[in-house]
Amino acid sequence: MSLAYYPGCTLKTKAKNLEEPAIASMEVLGFKLEEITRWNCCGAVHSLADDDLIHQVAPVRNLIRTTEQGKNKLVTLCSFCFNTLKRANLLMKADTEKRNTINSFMDDEIDYSGEVKVIHLLEVLRDEIGWEALAQKVKLPLRDLKVAPYYGCMLLRPREVAMDSVENPGILRKLVETVGATSVDFPESTRCCGSYQIISDPGVISAYAWNILSSALSYGAEALVLTCPLCAYDLGQGQEELVKKRAEFKGMPIFYFTQLLALALGLDHQVCHFELNYGNPESLLREKNLLP
Amino acid sequence: MSYLGYPDFFEPYIKKVEQTRPVRLEKRRRGEEFPFMSLKERQEMLKYHPDYKEEGRREIKVGPNKGYRIAHEFVDLLESKSRVDPDKVDLTSDDYEADVLVIGGGGAATIAAIIAEENGAQVLMATKLRHGDANTMMAEGGIQAATKREKDSPYYHYLDVMGGGHFKNDPDIVAAFVKQAPDALQWLENLGVLFSKFPDGRLESMHGGGTCRKRMHYCADLSGMEIMRVVRDEARNRRNIKVLEFSPAVELILNEHGQCSGALLYNMETEEYLVVKAKAVILATGGSGRLHVQGFMTTNHYGATADGIVIGYRAGARLSFLHTVQYHPTGVVFPEQIEGWLITERFRAEGADIVNVHGEKFVNEREPRDVESARFIKECLDGKGVPTPTGKVGVWLDSPMLDILHGEGRVRTAFVGKWKVYDRLGIDISKAPMLVYPTLHYQNGGLKDNAECETAVPGLYVAGEVTGGLHGENRLMGNSLMDIVVFGRIAGRNAAIFARERAKEGKLTLDHVKRYHKELKEAGIKTNRVAPMLLPDYTSPEVKEKQLTVSHLGTLR
Amino acid sequence: MSVKAKKRKGPTTTKVKEERKVPEVKLIPVYIMGKRYEVPEGLTLMKAMEYAGYRFIRGCGCRGGTCGACGTVYRKPGDYKLQVALACQKTVEPDMYVTQIPFFPANRAQYEFAELTSAPEEVFKLYPELFRCVACNACTKACPQGIQVMDAISALKQGNIAEASRISFECIQCGLCTSRCFGELAQYHMFQLARRIYGARILPRAEHLAEMVKAINEGKYDDILNELKRVKKDELEKLYREREEEPVTAGEDWKPRDTTYL
Repeated sequence: MSLAYYPGCTLKTKAKNLEEPAIASMEVLGFKLEEITRWNCCGAVHSLADDDLIHQVAPVRNLIRTTEQGKNKLVTLCSFCFNTLKRANLLMKADTEKRNTINSFMDDEIDYSGEVKVIHLLEVLRDEIGWEALAQKVKLPLRDLKVAPYYGCMLLRPREVAMDSVENPGILRKLVETVGATSVDFPESTRCCGSYQIISDPGVISAYAWNILSSALSYGAEALVLTCPLCAYDLGQGQEELVKKRAEFKGMPIFYFTQLLALALGLDHQVCHFELNYGNPESLLREKNLLP
Repeated sequence: MSYLGYPDFFEPYIKKVEQTRPVRLEKRRRGEEFPFMSLKERQEMLKYHPDYKEEGRREIKVGPNKGYRIAHEFVDLLESKSRVDPDKVDLTSDDYEADVLVIGGGGAATIAAIIAEENGAQVLMATKLRHGDANTMMAEGGIQAATKREKDSPYYHYLDVMGGGHFKNDPDIVAAFVKQAPDALQWLENLGVLFSKFPDGRLESMHGGGTCRKRMHYCADLSGMEIMRVVRDEARNRRNIKVLEFSPAVELILNEHGQCSGALLYNMETEEYLVVKAKAVILATGGSGRLHVQGFMTTNHYGATADGIVIGYRAGARLSFLHTVQYHPTGVVFPEQIEGWLITERFRAEGADIVNVHGEKFVNEREPRDVESARFIKECLDGKGVPTPTGKVGVWLDSPMLDILHGEGRVRTAFVGKWKVYDRLGIDISKAPMLVYPTLHYQNGGLKDNAECETAVPGLYVAGEVTGGLHGENRLMGNSLMDIVVFGRIAGRNAAIFARERAKEGKLTLDHVKRYHKELKEAGIKTNRVAPMLLPDYTSPEVKEKQLTVSHLGTLR
Repeated sequence: MSVKAKKRKGPTTTKVKEERKVPEVKLIPVYIMGKRYEVPEGLTLMKAMEYAGYRFIRGCGCRGGTCGACGTVYRKPGDYKLQVALACQKTVEPDMYVTQIPFFPANRAQYEFAELTSAPEEVFKLYPELFRCVACNACTKACPQGIQVMDAISALKQGNIAEASRISFECIQCGLCTSRCFGELAQYHMFQLARRIYGARILPRAEHLAEMVKAINEGKYDDILNELKRVKKDELEKLYREREEEPVTAGEDWKPRDTTYL
């Protein structure tokens, strides 16, 4: 089965380790992630200003590409892209006035009114494949690996786009358990990573990262699993500072969910590009006999 | 009403082409070619070439080449006065100083500037229009270099250049050219020029008129533009190259030792004349299509007005091969909007036939350009040309054959530039042929130099179309783009060395201009003409008549 | 009010070889920078402006659609759309309002090409404003070459230098995209950088070319060429006549019979 897929710019540059294991895993699961053509940036940040319609143009254009290419569902991997695309889609569906303005501005494109369904790959795993079916495909259960699911903001907020319970999400926990690892719940799992403040105020990022990582550590986690390249970047960059500053902190590997998935499905670990991860996950995996 | 995008008028004529196409295609597939003319037949055919029309030229009465017969349009310029009164120019203070002054803004000039800079010179480029506004930008066909050792070598390139030029070319220049061409090509590759390549990096190559080996390399059909874009970009990266746009040189300046020591520039926008003092000068001002020799239409750039020839000749450089001008065989005759535009030789190189009004072949498509042009003119004089509703005549270039020979989409992808231009006019040239006739294309000759780009004036170097010698009496396709790279580099290096090692400090002078004026007077030439022309004048006579308070200096007002 | 325009003869900008009767031409109105002129139909905008009496210093270049000097914007009556063209390419239409944009300021990064790698980050570093693109697509609409400018910008953001190079190959650097850009990008400079990186760092190099250069530098052809330079014209003509022709239809594997001078 083929799914229209929107990668986003970061997955094509810094976050190949999010994309490649996803494509390979989905193939094992019988799905082809088919990249839509002529896509552009997702918009990166959803505009919070009500009258700032120009920032809706980028995501809407991607949705138009999807319908143009005969698809009505679009899968994303990056939670930022997911959030931006889905919110723009909701706006186009719900707000007639803004929809008309945007459509009339984009007179070089066909009219659009929210026909595409934007979903995250986690939703495909949960709703279309199902945890049980997935469990049956697992060849290398990630036994003994204690992983803390980290959601950040973009999968769950605001409520209209949330793919899971905003207060008490469980979708990543289910994935971690399905691939045979131990899920470590911790209170900071939906706290913001600091987002784009990494550019203006790296000090803030370091403090946020310590909050999140130390909390996960204290609950016994050996690694973090997440879905977002920006979270991965912030928590990774932040860590480097922390390791220097805090003698007791040795760092914590950060996985993309697609890497754990691919590993458990028995795929060659090369596809996971662990060399692009922060915090040296390979030594941890070797320790657990999960890597040759 | 139209047929394949052409007015109905053409329907019966195009149908003729379509009728004979299958048989012609079959011959192509079998590798059967229309026989080449013998050298003797070529010589006969050239009588139809405009260069051989005696009434089109006259003797020049002044300067180092006194008595040389060249086109009236050139003589008119050479028998003109300076734009300035040399007595009125204050040479005691200068507006700009540089080690090397490069005059011109095209490929040869830019490449020379880059290499002069690499050799340690502070470089000033003076361009007439924008940097990059030049014939280089328009060269479509390709660039020749023997790069495939298993079948080609500088030896064969040498023979082809000489044969194309009727064996009159300067052997030293040709030898230097063919030997350095591959290195020049690699230099471009290093700078990031996007040559059309096979997936393994092997350069695509093909024939051009007069080549015995496929050594024409190309960047789709935008070779000149791609090369110009890249070298201009590189020049912009160099901190020691400064560019003065819209400031053409109107005279060279010598010093008391007879060395070329700068130039007088004219800021066309503020109308000021500016003195540049330099230790060496490179003249790379290109060609002269906009003189419309013998009233022909041209493929050339707006600024192609022979300025360098004029100022170089006044300063004492000699002329060579300026009695021949190249007519590109395939200029557009119809539609009128693009009349005179060049259709690259690559269409013919890839196997598109030339056919007459009956749909018959009458010439091999790969004769040297002058012979090919002369043959077209003869065919039309013989009444076998295709008429147009605008009262002109041409022959067909059967482009749709390429989609059939090389696979559908060939024309659209390999000739995207031309395809688009026609498409805008409603004609799909992968379905309909193009109507063509010779158009003024290239100045075969120019200022005489040697293989080191030196002229008779110490410190004055020349490169590119402004020179004469490499191409003899007729240039082959793809050798002009290579010309600007090979000799642009040589001129750049030698000028920088001259500036460093041989330039002498001395008083600046325009005495050569005064002497030239005197010579004009002595030759009995009474004229109000001034040169260089700088820009052609396309103002209609009716408008001019009404511009009562406008004073003209030459073609400029 | 009706203004009678005197009929002039047809365009005089291109001379033709044969003398012929210039047919009477139909004049149409065109507004050059808002001012009405009557010009013959069928002319390009450039020739029409010259016909009207304009004399170009700027805004005119190759007159063949490849140099990018004559970027022009125009509107037609009753249409909100701003359209673009090259003055040397576009045929005049009745009542169009026209102005040229002969120059537009654009940010160009200076760089040492030799030091650049093939990494997408090279472009990001030199042109961080790349990420100011909001995908409004005004650039594409402003391209007289019909290039999908925004797609090429998207490709750069995605680190796909090869794709950006391919899409932008026909760019004539007229700057019209830049003049319309909401994010104030100079797209054509970014594409130039991308194409150079693609050509020199991503596309495989021509090994046969390097071999030939090496052979020449080792002096392999010096004797042959020196000898050729001395050959008399008759002998040269003979060598020329007898040289073996590679057939037009020959494939890459063609080899000549005579290899003496290779």
